[in-house]
Amino acid sequence: MSEPADKPKASPAPAPGRPAPKHPGLVTVTVDGQEVAVPPGTNMITAAKTVGADIPYYCWHHRLSIAANCRMCLVEASTSPKLVPACQTALQEGMAIRTDTARVAESRRAVMEFLLLNHPVDCAICDQAGECKLEDYYQRLDARPSRLEGDKVLRDKRRVLGPLVVLDQERCVLCTRCVRFMEEVAKEPQLGVFARGSDEYIDVFPGHELSSNYSGNVVDLCPVGALLNRDFRFRARTWFLSTVASVCTGCSRGCSTYVDFLGQDTYRYRPRENDAINQSWMCDPGRLSYQPLNLERVSTPSVGRGEDRREVPTAEALARATVQLKAMAGTAELAVLVSPGCSNEDLLAGLTFAKDALGVRTLYVGGRPDGPADNLLMRADKNPNRKGLTWIAAALGLGLRPFGELVLAIEVGQVKALYALGAEVPVPAAQAAAALSKVEFAVLQAANVSALTAQAQVLLPAAAHVEDEGTFTQADGITQRFRRAYPPRGAAQSHWKWAVDIMREFGFPVTLGSARDVFRELAPKVPELAGFDWDKEAPPLKSTRGISPLPSAADGRPPGYREFGTPRVRGI
Amino acid sequence: MAQPTEIEIPPAAPEGEGELEAHLHTKRMLINMGPSHPAMHGTVRTRIELEGETIVRMDPEIGFLHRGFQKSCENVTWNQCLPYTDRLNYASPLMNNFGFLNAVEKLAGITIPERAQYIRLIGSELHRIHDHLTCVGAIGLELGGFAPFLYAIEGRELIMDRVTELTGARLTTSFGRVGGLNRDLPEGWVERVLKSLDKCHELIGEIETLLTANRIFVDRMKGVGVITADDALDFGFTGPCLRASGVPYDVRKAKPYWVYDRIEFDVPIGVNGDNFDRYLMRLEELRQSEAIVRQALRQISPGPVIVDDWRIALPPKPEVYGTIEGVIAHFKLVMEGVPVPAGEVYDSTEAANGELGWYLVSDGSGRPYKVHVRAPGFAIMSGLPRMVEGRMLADLIPTFDTINMIGGEVEQ
Repeated sequence: MSEPADKPKASPAPAPGRPAPKHPGLVTVTVDGQEVAVPPGTNMITAAKTVGADIPYYCWHHRLSIAANCRMCLVEASTSPKLVPACQTALQEGMAIRTDTARVAESRRAVMEFLLLNHPVDCAICDQAGECKLEDYYQRLDARPSRLEGDKVLRDKRRVLGPLVVLDQERCVLCTRCVRFMEEVAKEPQLGVFARGSDEYIDVFPGHELSSNYSGNVVDLCPVGALLNRDFRFRARTWFLSTVASVCTGCSRGCSTYVDFLGQDTYRYRPRENDAINQSWMCDPGRLSYQPLNLERVSTPSVGRGEDRREVPTAEALARATVQLKAMAGTAELAVLVSPGCSNEDLLAGLTFAKDALGVRTLYVGGRPDGPADNLLMRADKNPNRKGLTWIAAALGLGLRPFGELVLAIEVGQVKALYALGAEVPVPAAQAAAALSKVEFAVLQAANVSALTAQAQVLLPAAAHVEDEGTFTQADGITQRFRRAYPPRGAAQSHWKWAVDIMREFGFPVTLGSARDVFRELAPKVPELAGFDWDKEAPPLKSTRGISPLPSAADGRPPGYREFGTPRVRGI
Repeated sequence: MAQPTEIEIPPAAPEGEGELEAHLHTKRMLINMGPSHPAMHGTVRTRIELEGETIVRMDPEIGFLHRGFQKSCENVTWNQCLPYTDRLNYASPLMNNFGFLNAVEKLAGITIPERAQYIRLIGSELHRIHDHLTCVGAIGLELGGFAPFLYAIEGRELIMDRVTELTGARLTTSFGRVGGLNRDLPEGWVERVLKSLDKCHELIGEIETLLTANRIFVDRMKGVGVITADDALDFGFTGPCLRASGVPYDVRKAKPYWVYDRIEFDVPIGVNGDNFDRYLMRLEELRQSEAIVRQALRQISPGPVIVDDWRIALPPKPEVYGTIEGVIAHFKLVMEGVPVPAGEVYDSTEAANGELGWYLVSDGSGRPYKVHVRAPGFAIMSGLPRMVEGRMLADLIPTFDTINMIGGEVEQ
């Protein structure tokens, strides 16, 4: 093979033995003429990215073993006469790498042509369209017409692998990321590569199904549209969705997520890279925990129980709650129920209200009951903010008592009125509702309709976490910010806002106007939260510019959205 | 003056207050002309301070046709900007289309095929004829001659028909794409254009006969709305209005684009910088444009009309429907747009009213980061007060006509 003309002249001669490192403790290489010094063991793709050389790849993933089977990342290296796969080749001191030569470009083009040879003409009906690496790399690296003569190889187009995942074998590029993930990360090897050569295909092992709790991750890993989420399939075109960084509320692990939404509907959660908590993954129950954001929401305030229930304006509901709560404030007959599913801001404002206005000394803790746990991500405690609740209650000098004691207290007639921050309870809803029906007066702030909400005299619609900003503190004590995706549905307000509004009705001069205000004003009292910089810890706004019709995520609204008054643009 | 001291004489009334020697007070009158005035084309309002019938001060107010053109462009792909450019100078939309595309192509480093260059040149010159006919006809109309207007409109309609055959629209042409054109000349179009040009030639002759030596017309045009070459340059005049003042600047000659360097044509230069000269400039340019189109139609040879690169031009439809390669390229181009490398560019073409300049900034994505258009009419409009202050109110009408202010491009 002849030496390519554009090979760097200054490629270092292979010295006998190992050359001394130029930068002690680091490996120094040259990428496209630029010197890069990286720690030993760094992958070539990562090293190249630091100087802006974007090496394309399908099969490589920084958290999986290296397969080097897609051949997309081939580059020129001074250590080899042939092109080498960047994902697999170890960096050596003094190595010169070129990613921009004609030879590399031609290799990439050829690989793309092979990958598309049997790919079906599916973009129009494919969920991956818009976030597909085949599309991105074809346009960037190939952009030539097809030279295929004859027919494409046909395979199973809708192979249902498990409850959450369906496989289109025609679209698969056999990168084996999914196989490696199930084996190495989920440790449940349910997927395999079958047959050989051009007959190869991905499938579950015979008699099994992809039943792992982590099966949704293979959909994210799949660089093309082969593995699809059955929950999301055919529901939205990705380029219409806007994205904000958020936190999963499925359990106390608090995985970092992206929320993909359109209008006031959330379409899916995707894991967001976070080394400290969830790496690149999230579990299937967490992935599906977006559903209550859209379904059976309490959208308007209402008063009255049973037959007397009627929807009322916010002001009327507030006045009704205030009159009754004020009458009971300071007495032992008034109890406060808080949910560890509320954000720190909700709890800071709500607990301050409970202590200062309602005069309670102890709180009853609701929240979802415990569930299954595993060694990867899922935790038994299904509430995202129990740690935060513990911290804030301790800082305010409030005691915490389990929910069971509240039920007992109601039954013996010790508690006659209730103010509840969140309507999740650790017992079956019917059982809790039966207890609540014995309370004379209950103010309930709830996001979702349940048997419990039917027993409230004053029901206030609460915003879901994606509808406001805030923070959660997960089980290990890591506090994370989440961003607002869209304004609350209907007349819903955040828990903190309801608490502040009622407090104002009580006559307290409260001026807190946003979750940020609440945190900055009240968090300094909580030693564990005092050091948390609410502004600095905000995850960056992910730009949705490019493929969505109008940039919409800046204020969380879809294009043309005018229903909810002034846009919330930073600086206004 | 000695006065007898014994007689009491009332003190004289202060000057001007006595009943007999009272001055006739003339008060300056402030009037609005426009925005809805038949002579203020394109909804422009001017506040005029009058001393009798003389304009003392004039303050044009633009913005009634503001459409947020530049900002709108930032939200769409480069090709999707085209319909917005139609609405700039709506008397010659093809020139806006092609001018914009030219700037984008310069930024992206694309050279378009020769045939596309010829078609762009032909389309532009046809619309120059269209634009000038509108302007000349309107001057005649507003100075009381209805016949020249009808002749001009007849010629304009012929051009409009040819443009409709070419682009599918009378006004909202949205013709051309980054990298060339979206379609070739229709069958038999060249012959029809030649026939239309013959007719236009005749009509232009008629208009000239009716106007150029017409006493009423000349009296209201000559020496009216004068602007010197220095002033015109200071105000940023370009096009016929600048050349009427004697400055020989034409972008087609100064930095020939497309295939203008292969075409023989003259650029008329005026002397006085008055309305009459500006009228003559347009009349002569009508003839020159006709000659340009005829030459171009002789020179044009068959070939592709858009670059053969799926990163820029949409793939042919059979490829889109039948192959994954085609459908990906189509999807990417439609949804994300032509990826124009990050950078900035200024590029200009000679539009009917002067230098139509584009300052574009790309951040490397498929949508403009910034689009600024230097509309020739904007600079000329700013010079209007200088041209009419001190003149009679009636002189505003022909002056406003000859500068050919187009609301769409001035107010963007």
